[in-house]
Amino acid sequence: MFTKFFYDLREAGLKVTFAEFLTLQEALDKGLANNSLTDFYYLSRMILVKSETEYDKFDMVFDSNFKGAHYEPEVGANMLKWLDKSELEEFIAETERRWLNQMEDLQIDKDDVEEKFKARLKDQDSEHNGGSHWIGTMGKTSFGNTGGNVGGVRVGGKTGYQSAFAVIGAKKYRDFRDDRIIDNRQFMQALRKLRSFSARLDVPKTELDIDGTINKTCNNGGMLEIVMEKPRKNTVKLLMLMDSGGTMIPYSGLMNELFQSVTKSNHYKDIKVYYFHNCIYSKLYNTPECENGDWIDTEWIFKNLSSDYKVIIVGDAAMAPEELYSDSGNYRGPNGGLSGWEWLLLMKRHYKRIVWMNPKMAVGHAPWREAETAVKTIFPMYRLTVDGLNRAMTWLMTGK
Amino acid sequence: MDISSTDFNGTGYVASEQLLSAVNVAVTLQKPLLIKGEPGTGKTMLADAVARSLGKKLIIWNIKSTSKAQEGLYMYDTIQRLYDGQFGEEGVDDIARYIKLGKLGEAFRSDEQVILLIDEIDKADLEFPNDLLWELDQMEFYIHETKETVRAKHRPIVIITSNAEKELPDAFLRRCIFHYIDFPDPELMEEIVRVHLPDIEDNLLKQAFEVFYDIRAMKDVRKKPSTSELIDWLNVLQLGGIPADEIRKKLPFVGVIIKKDEDLEVVKQKMV
Repeated sequence: MFTKFFYDLREAGLKVTFAEFLTLQEALDKGLANNSLTDFYYLSRMILVKSETEYDKFDMVFDSNFKGAHYEPEVGANMLKWLDKSELEEFIAETERRWLNQMEDLQIDKDDVEEKFKARLKDQDSEHNGGSHWIGTMGKTSFGNTGGNVGGVRVGGKTGYQSAFAVIGAKKYRDFRDDRIIDNRQFMQALRKLRSFSARLDVPKTELDIDGTINKTCNNGGMLEIVMEKPRKNTVKLLMLMDSGGTMIPYSGLMNELFQSVTKSNHYKDIKVYYFHNCIYSKLYNTPECENGDWIDTEWIFKNLSSDYKVIIVGDAAMAPEELYSDSGNYRGPNGGLSGWEWLLLMKRHYKRIVWMNPKMAVGHAPWREAETAVKTIFPMYRLTVDGLNRAMTWLMTGK
Repeated sequence: MDISSTDFNGTGYVASEQLLSAVNVAVTLQKPLLIKGEPGTGKTMLADAVARSLGKKLIIWNIKSTSKAQEGLYMYDTIQRLYDGQFGEEGVDDIARYIKLGKLGEAFRSDEQVILLIDEIDKADLEFPNDLLWELDQMEFYIHETKETVRAKHRPIVIITSNAEKELPDAFLRRCIFHYIDFPDPELMEEIVRVHLPDIEDNLLKQAFEVFYDIRAMKDVRKKPSTSELIDWLNVLQLGGIPADEIRKKLPFVGVIIKKDEDLEVVKQKMV
C-alpha cells in the first residue's frame, strides 16, 4: 500500500526520494504516527514534502491513496474551452452568490457539511487538475465564512489538530501553489536562475584574493605573497521582447512588474528590452507605446546582439491568423515583405535559446487558439506564473 | 524527550500541535528541522522555546549573505599567529591555539546536548547548505591544520529557519524534516495574545482582530502585518484607552501594523 503511495507521489511530480521514504518507514517503526491516520498525514508530509507550494499536490495523492477517493485528471476539451472564457469574474460572483444562498438554507450539522464538503472537494479537484484558477476561487468562496484569505476555508473552527481530511479539504495552501500568477518579488527570484558565473570560464585572474593573500603571507612569516583569483560574474545576456498589443492591456500591470524585475536585476551582463505589436515584424519599438518611427530594425538586432543572448518573448500569442501568416503583416508598422511567421522563424534561427511567456496560455492542447498553437510549434511556451517562469528560466539555462 | 504543549508554558511561546509533533519527529529521527513561514510567525523564537522547555543550552548561528559554511566549523587565525611569532610569544608552534571553533564546532564540542539554531539559512549563497551536508549528517568535521577530527559528543538538535528568499538545494532538503508555520488563525492568535497581554478586554480584542484579519486579507496590501505587530498594536490600544467601537472607524495607531505609505492609503480607502 505504501509503495503505491510513494510512486503516486512521484507520479504527481513531487520529488520524493527513496531515502526520504525510508526515513518515513523508520519514523513509523518508531511509532511516531501513533496509529492515527491524522498523525500519519502530518508525519508523512513533514518528511516527504519540503515546500509549502507542494502541500496541495501531496494532499491530493494522500487523499486518493488513503480515502479511496478517485480523482480524474482528464478534463474534456469542451470544458477547457469553457474555462477559457474571459468573463470568469462574473461567473465566480454568480456562483458564489448561489452557493452562499444554498449554504444559508442548510441546517448545518457537522456530518452534513463534511459530506457536502467532500463532494465539492472532489469536484473541485478534478477540475483543479485541469489547472484552472477559478475553480479554486469558487471552492474557497463557497465555504469561506471567516474571510481570512489563505485559510479561507474552514470547517469547524477548532485549533490544533483538525481531522486530516478537513485540512486537505481546506486547501489552505492553494495560495502557495506554484501555478498562481506571480508578483514582483517572485519574478526576481525566478530571474535569478539566469546566471552563470565566469569563474568557470577561461578568464585571467584579475581580482585580489584577500583571504588567500593574508593566509599565504602569514604562513610565509610576514613576507608578502599576493594571491589572485578569477572574478565571479554573471555572463548572461538578456533580450526581452514584449507584446504591447491591444489584447495585452489586461496584463499591463503584470508586464510592468516583469519589466521592473528584469531591469532591477542588475546582475546580468546586458539587458535589452524592445516591444512589438501582436507579432514580431521588421521593426521593434523602443517604448511600449509602439509609436511609428521610434523603432529599430529587427535585423539590426540580429547583427548586433549575438546568438548567445537569451531571449524572452512575452505575449499572449493571440494574433489573428492573418497577422501571423499574411505577407502584408498587421495594420501598423512595416513588415519587410515577410509574414510574422517567417520573422519568428528568423528569430529562432538566430538565437539559440528563446522562450515565449504567455500570461493567458491555454491549459493543455487548445486547437481553437490557432495562433497560439502555431507559435508553440516554434518556441517552447510557458504560462507567466511562478512555475512557468521557473521552468522557462531553467530551459533558457539548460535547454531542458 | 517528547515535548508537549504544556512544556512550552512559561516560555511565552504558543505552538500549534503540528509544530510540536514536527519538533518531536525531528528529535527522534535525529534530523535537522527546517522551519519556514512568513516573517513574524515565530520561527526563531521556536528554538528558544524548545531549548528552554528541554532545559538545554541554545547556540545560535545567524547567517548573513556573506556567511561561509567554513565559518561555522572553525577559523584558523593566521594573523594572530604571525603577530605572536614576531613578538616571540610562546606556543606559536602549537597551531591548535589558533584554531577558533565556529558555532557548529562549539555545538559539537559541548559536553552536553545543545540546541543549534541555524537562523535564516537562505540568506547565504546557494551552495552554503550543501557545504554543510556532511557535517550535519555525520556530526563531525576535520581540521586540516591540526589533522584533527571534531566529532559531536552529543548529537545536537538542529533547527534551521528559512524565509524562502532562495530555494534551498534538493540534497539538503532531503535530509530535513520540514514544517511550514501557518499564519495563526484567530483562535490560536487569541491564545498567543493572551499569553502576552493577559488582561486585555474581550471587546477590544474582538474589534481589533476583525480589523487586523481584514487588513491581512486585502490582496493589495504589500506588507502584511505580523503577529508581533498585532501584539504591539493591541498593547497601544489598551494603554491609550481606545474604546473598542472606535477601532474600525478611526483606525487609531494603525501605523503600528501598517508600515508602508502605499499600504496605509489602501487600508484607509477600503476601511473608511
